[in-house]
Amino acid sequence: MIRLCNVSKSLGDFRLKNINLSIEDNEYFVILGPTGTGKTVILEVIAGMYKPDQGEVWLNDRNVTTQYPESRHIGFVYQDYMLFPHLNVQENILFALKLKNTPTIIMKQKLERMTTLLNIGQLLQRYPATLSGGEQQRVAIARALVAEPEVLLLDEPLSALDPRSKEVFQQELKNIHEQIKTTTIHITHDFNEALVLADRMGITRNGEIVQVGSPEEVFQKPQSQFVAEFVGMDNIFSGDLSNEGDVKYVHIGSVRLRVVSNLAGKVRVAIRSEDIIIAEDKLSSSAQNIIPARIIEIIPRGPFFKVVLDADIPLVALVTRQAIDKMKLEPGKNVWAFFKTTAVHVF
Amino acid sequence: MLMKRRRSIEACHKMPTQKNSTTVKNRLFQALLVFFIFVLFAFVFSALAHIVWKGLAGMAQSIASKEIQFAIRLSLFTSFTSTLICVFFAIPVAYGLERFNFPGRRLVSVILDIPLSLPPLVCGVALLLLLGTTSFGQSLAEHGLRFIFSVNGIILAQFFIITPYMVRVLKSTIADINPRLEFVARTLGCSQWQAFYKITLPLAKNGIIAGLVISWARAIGEFGCTLMVAGATRMVTETLPVALYLNMSIGNLEMAMASATCLIIISLISLFVFEIVGGKQSPASRMS
Repeated sequence: MIRLCNVSKSLGDFRLKNINLSIEDNEYFVILGPTGTGKTVILEVIAGMYKPDQGEVWLNDRNVTTQYPESRHIGFVYQDYMLFPHLNVQENILFALKLKNTPTIIMKQKLERMTTLLNIGQLLQRYPATLSGGEQQRVAIARALVAEPEVLLLDEPLSALDPRSKEVFQQELKNIHEQIKTTTIHITHDFNEALVLADRMGITRNGEIVQVGSPEEVFQKPQSQFVAEFVGMDNIFSGDLSNEGDVKYVHIGSVRLRVVSNLAGKVRVAIRSEDIIIAEDKLSSSAQNIIPARIIEIIPRGPFFKVVLDADIPLVALVTRQAIDKMKLEPGKNVWAFFKTTAVHVF
Repeated sequence: MLMKRRRSIEACHKMPTQKNSTTVKNRLFQALLVFFIFVLFAFVFSALAHIVWKGLAGMAQSIASKEIQFAIRLSLFTSFTSTLICVFFAIPVAYGLERFNFPGRRLVSVILDIPLSLPPLVCGVALLLLLGTTSFGQSLAEHGLRFIFSVNGIILAQFFIITPYMVRVLKSTIADINPRLEFVARTLGCSQWQAFYKITLPLAKNGIIAGLVISWARAIGEFGCTLMVAGATRMVTETLPVALYLNMSIGNLEMAMASATCLIIISLISLFVFEIVGGKQSPASRMS
């Protein structure tokens, strides 16, 4: 368990303000926020790189506020990996174990476990400078996990990867966490990552944590304008995922949505309101999800309008003033809601 | 569309004259650069080549002389000793100044840099007065550490002059190594000493070697400060530069040039090593 009590820290122009956070054992906690809101500093305070100006840091009922990093049992993975450039992959991974004079046999076992878990067996003799970003990331995680830390801190672990590797590795992080169950804090500015990975999440803004909750709670009931705009998810549902031939569908009540996912059973789905298109007729288009709906209400939201629809499930779409005028949208009107399969995020 | 094409055709016709004038300007500029490079190069090269040429001719004879042999031996001994003591101090000092934030750090840093910009003669006078006229210097002398007009003085003078250089080189080397590497090592169980010893020190290796070479070259050529502290006594405190000075002052040109040639060769070698090693910082260790 990690507990931050009233932690404040000033660092140059930057201020971390009165952070209160409690993260349960085995939880995968995501800190989500725009870049430059001090997310990394939170991790560095937990790990002991900086002492907080005020407040306390607790790890599993130990007050570690004044402890050195080496006695905190924390695994830290930086965004840019920070592999030791003068050591090869194997030496990097075994660094912590060698420090503790671990017997060779045990080191070998643990090394093997890590290389299988992260699929890096073929890299052991290479030097960090010769590895791709994704490979370095795996090695950095292996190096942190091999010491069996009580807490794993991941600083934007996916942000330096290309979109394809990112998707693969995101799933892998989830699998790894299911296997080893180490309490994890993961920092990101990407709400998709948070959606897929988080048991619970915290949203940061200007060095403060403004909301904490499950992805569902945060996305569905943002407690401030900032959170609502930042997460931008108006449509979140629970449903059952099933295969029909090669195609996968999520059933939510009487509505059936076509999706892309490799999950099964009970899932949650989210659709961003700007991904939903409203049309008067059932046009033919590349969108695979077309459902009939009735307009309930139209609410102005900044430069756009939020159109609340009843399609047996409540849907919210975001449209411009011009669209509303042109299509004469008004409460009570029957329309069709279109969205692409890929717009439905399953988690 | 048509207009555009016509305009571009016109531009093409105009081009040759315009091209000629810019070409001439560029050529002129290039010629000017070549001229300046050539003048400076010719000046430096001819001065050095001349003395090396003359010095090498009488080298065999000079090296046979007891005096030059003594000077070479004394120079090597004092410069190696002072460089070793220097690196022993400079590594912890550079690391401490770069990595730890303590009150007065900037001030300490600036004061340690002062000898860099002072004439060595002034440093020498300062050392001479500190060690020769104060009770601190006298008590050192009573305990067997005599510096004034002795070989110890040469080592001390060289140490005083080269250490700021070494600290500078090492500070920039250490500043190039991302402190987060050490921090990750700490989370993996390293104490501060272990993180320094296992991560930063090996990554600073090239910088340390470069610093050693350049400091050693400065030490072996040190004259002004040595002159003040240790004096210029034939066959006692006669390092290579002192030999050059003494022989020059009595008009023994051949011996003077032999000493100068030795010094030039030494500095060439060190410059060469510095270029090779200094340019090879591993990019992965740099701050991003």
